[in-house]
Amino acid sequence: MSLAKVFRENPNRRYIMFGGKGGLGKTTFSAATAYWLAKQGKRVLVFSVDPQASLSDIFKQDIYGKGAVEIMPNLYAQEIDADQHIREYQDQIRKKILDMYGFDKIPDEIESYIQAASAEPAMEESAIFDQVVDIVVAGEFDYYIYDLVPLGHALYYLSMASVYDQWISKITKLREEMREYEQMAARLSRKSELQEDEILRELQDIRYRISTSSSILTDREKTAFFFVLVPEEMILIDTQNAASLFRKYDVPLSGYIVNRVIPDELIAKGNIPPYLRNRHAMQKKYLQKIDELFGKDVLARVEEMERDIAGLSMIEKMAQAMFGEETL
Amino acid sequence: MTEEEKRSLIQKIKENLSDFIYGMASHEATRQALKTRGSMEHLFILITMGDLLGVPILPPYYSLRLLPYVVPQISTWKRRMLREKDLVDALA
Amino acid sequence: MAFWTLLITIVIVILGYRYYTNRVDQQIVAADPKRATPAKMYNDGVDFMPASGSVLFGYQFKSIAALGPIVGPITAVQWGWLPAVLWLIVGVFFIGWVQDYASAMMAMRNDGMTMGGLAYKYISPRARGILLSFLYFYLLLIMGAFGAVVAGLLAAPTVPIGFLILTLAGVLAGQMTYRWRMDLVMTTVVTVLIALVGIWLGTMPWAQSIVKAINGMAGNAEGVLYSTPYGPMKWSVWFWGIIALVFTYFGSVLPIWRFAQPVNYVSFWFVMLGIVGSILGVIIATFTGATGVSFEIPAYIAFNNHLGPLWPILFVTISCGAISGWHSLVSTSGTARQLEKETDAKPVTAGAMYTEAVLAVLAVVFAATAIAKADGSVLYDAANGYKLSVGAGGIWIYGMARFLSVVGIPADLGGAIGGIFLAVMALTVMQLVLRFMRVASAELLGDKIIAFKNPHVGSLVAIAFTLLILWTAFWQRIWVLFGGANQLFAGLALLLVTIWLANEGKKYEWVFWPGVFMYVTTVAALLITAWKSFSAAFAPDTAAAFMVGNLIAGLIGLFLAIAALILAWDGWKSLSTARSKMAAAPSGD
Ligand SMILES: Nc1ncnc2c1ncn2[C@@H]1O[C@H](COP(=O)(O)OP(=O)(O)OP(=O)(O)O)[C@@H](O)[C@H]1O
Ligand SMILES: [Mg+2]
Repeated sequence: MSLAKVFRENPNRRYIMFGGKGGLGKTTFSAATAYWLAKQGKRVLVFSVDPQASLSDIFKQDIYGKGAVEIMPNLYAQEIDADQHIREYQDQIRKKILDMYGFDKIPDEIESYIQAASAEPAMEESAIFDQVVDIVVAGEFDYYIYDLVPLGHALYYLSMASVYDQWISKITKLREEMREYEQMAARLSRKSELQEDEILRELQDIRYRISTSSSILTDREKTAFFFVLVPEEMILIDTQNAASLFRKYDVPLSGYIVNRVIPDELIAKGNIPPYLRNRHAMQKKYLQKIDELFGKDVLARVEEMERDIAGLSMIEKMAQAMFGEETL
Repeated sequence: MTEEEKRSLIQKIKENLSDFIYGMASHEATRQALKTRGSMEHLFILITMGDLLGVPILPPYYSLRLLPYVVPQISTWKRRMLREKDLVDALA
Repeated sequence: MAFWTLLITIVIVILGYRYYTNRVDQQIVAADPKRATPAKMYNDGVDFMPASGSVLFGYQFKSIAALGPIVGPITAVQWGWLPAVLWLIVGVFFIGWVQDYASAMMAMRNDGMTMGGLAYKYISPRARGILLSFLYFYLLLIMGAFGAVVAGLLAAPTVPIGFLILTLAGVLAGQMTYRWRMDLVMTTVVTVLIALVGIWLGTMPWAQSIVKAINGMAGNAEGVLYSTPYGPMKWSVWFWGIIALVFTYFGSVLPIWRFAQPVNYVSFWFVMLGIVGSILGVIIATFTGATGVSFEIPAYIAFNNHLGPLWPILFVTISCGAISGWHSLVSTSGTARQLEKETDAKPVTAGAMYTEAVLAVLAVVFAATAIAKADGSVLYDAANGYKLSVGAGGIWIYGMARFLSVVGIPADLGGAIGGIFLAVMALTVMQLVLRFMRVASAELLGDKIIAFKNPHVGSLVAIAFTLLILWTAFWQRIWVLFGGANQLFAGLALLLVTIWLANEGKKYEWVFWPGVFMYVTTVAALLITAWKSFSAAFAPDTAAAFMVGNLIAGLIGLFLAIAALILAWDGWKSLSTARSKMAAAPSGD
């Protein structure tokens, strides 16, 4: 099975993720896949929740906190600036309070609450989380490519979704019960017009957003999750562990991509330094092991390139290495 | 007394009488239902805005989103949390 | 005579409201319609919620007028009808409304604080604790006194089946409004009709014969289980008493909207029917002679009777109608936190109190106009100093039957309606008390006696106490004790209000002297009753149960008197402090 074939045969898998330990090439693969899809006329958004901003590096363009930036026709990239997002969000809340109650100024107590909530460490995480939901729920693109931060974070993201979901459903239930009593009182005092509970509406909306986003992540029909690994012993062990964890969270694994394979031709040329020759030999051993372990699930082997991947031409080269000449 | 005045007086007596009967028959039940609802509301604020008391429970991003709706209740909520409870309150 | 007594009462009540109450409200307390009330300021949707004056008038009246204004007067005519009527009229005029109104105002001007907090603030820190323990025993006495009355009511052959069906209709009403979300009018019509048919079925000969069969299931031919120093203990009262306690227990543990509230709601419409109908009955009978309306009980019988001397015992026997401490609880905890205007306090609290006095006089009329039933059975034993020879419930049922029949309601049905709603009224209060007991006993006694930390222990103690009262059959003694505690609580409330007024630099004599009178009267009544109980306990050949019952009653009476005296001592000190402050600084008004 080739990588391109996975895309071809599963046209509904529009949410693409590359996972793996740090520095193995997730961002690189995300960008190259986006490039490959965009070239074939699909609208693609590749986005990152990583404050380290590596999409800016790979596209050689500062896109941090600028929303979805068009890199080339059909290819958009976005790097979320959590701080900025939180600031804007606070302003929205303030404006809403001023509008709702006709205040000239936010009451001190409320303002200090807004500040305190925003200073919490969990704020950034939940803000990023929500922004991702925003992007995904909007549904403007054919493909969404998540440039995830290292593995642990991806899992954290998923577990957060389920914890949030539980909380929100508890709170929603409480709210609904309150509604019951309110209606009870209205029936007893024979007052008919009851105001809609806006909080309940908000909660239902929040809940919808969280569950859509987390269900997307775990929906085999819609999501393709690829593991990136390199032929090294430690990475192999880690990948196995991670894969079983992902299964536990019901994340559908679509396959494995092996990166940084030293090409046989290079070794055949002769006149190469011994450390490289040794590494090649070692890689051979682990590549074999990878094939034994994952078999048909290994979708591509990407060679080690001559230099770092940055700029569209290198990205194109990478896409070629991943997908060959195949199309959708 | 004009016709108009008479009618409004009768109207007023009617209203007061039905208020009085409602007061005897079901005001207490209405109040109990609202009371239950109200204490749940305060529980709700505690859960969502708990950071005010130093116990974050809901992700802060979402509690901020609910904040505008509970602005009016926050001060009464705080007062009720802080007010010393008397045993006699349980009788009312 | 009955009509004129009612009429005179109404006239005096209106005069009192128009002149005395108005003056106090405007000139001394200076109720200000613009001043923000706690209900408005702190509207938190839980403890504080504003409601309109006319709604609250209904609420207050319903909350204060339970068993007290009915059973008290019926028991008190054993001294003659005149002392009872006089105390009702003079009491409500000078003392009754003063307490209800002033305690509501005091709570309103103190951020909606309730009695415990106010005692702490205005008397002393320990006053709060004493007041709460006082309250505990006071409520225990309510359980005993009311439980006995309900048992007596249910033992009447026309009552239990209707009562059961009304209860079921109430449960249905709860289901309809809360679960099936049906319209209230619809719910009311259906359930009240079911209850009415049920009450009517309960008066059918076959239904009565079922109850009579149950009543005759144990004991000798008259159904007497054993005799007590207070009269024969009938199996029927014993049995129905336990049924009453089962109802109380369910009412206090089930969600309030499942049982207690809707049953009370359905029964409310029968209260309306009964009260309005019987007042009409009295009026019509006066002019048509449809039933006897002249007083058969003498105006004055004797200073001493089996309950004790007229003063102070009559003043606590009529534990409601002239004045009642219960009202200060309602005023401070319930009403003061709902009044949306200060000027509503007068019509709501004083208005409801005056109305209740009229209801109490109606009860006197019921009692005084018949001393024997048409079938010849005795209600008040004329040969024996007009001693009550049935339960207070029996008098009430018979009175209702007579006066409702004047407006066309069959006698048995009218009597059953009266008996049933009175039972529901009493059970509603008992359920509230039992709920409170669960919390209170854990909080008050939990630290000293670990067992009380378990809330069920609190309920069990209250139930056991009530059973003891039932088994030893001395409900009149407990009634007097309850009345004493109730009236003494009123004295405490008046004391608190006095201190508050003094602190505010306002005239306080209009509260102070009623307070002194209540204090002296009730402490005396409690001591006399305690002494009577102790001597009964230690009389030769007293059975163990009576000894225990009397000992408990005596100890409670003694405890209440001592607690009240300590409070008076502390209160006097704070009053003196407030007065010296008042003398130092010229008053604001
Ligand atoms: N096949 C390759 N040949 C040469 N360089 C590569 C190859 N794959 C990745 N690199 C380089 O390795 C570095 C790390 O790659 P990349 O940023 O894609 O990894 P990552 O998994 O996204 O890392 P992080 O976990 O830090 O986000 C980059 O400088 C990238 O250019
Ligand atoms: Mg990266």
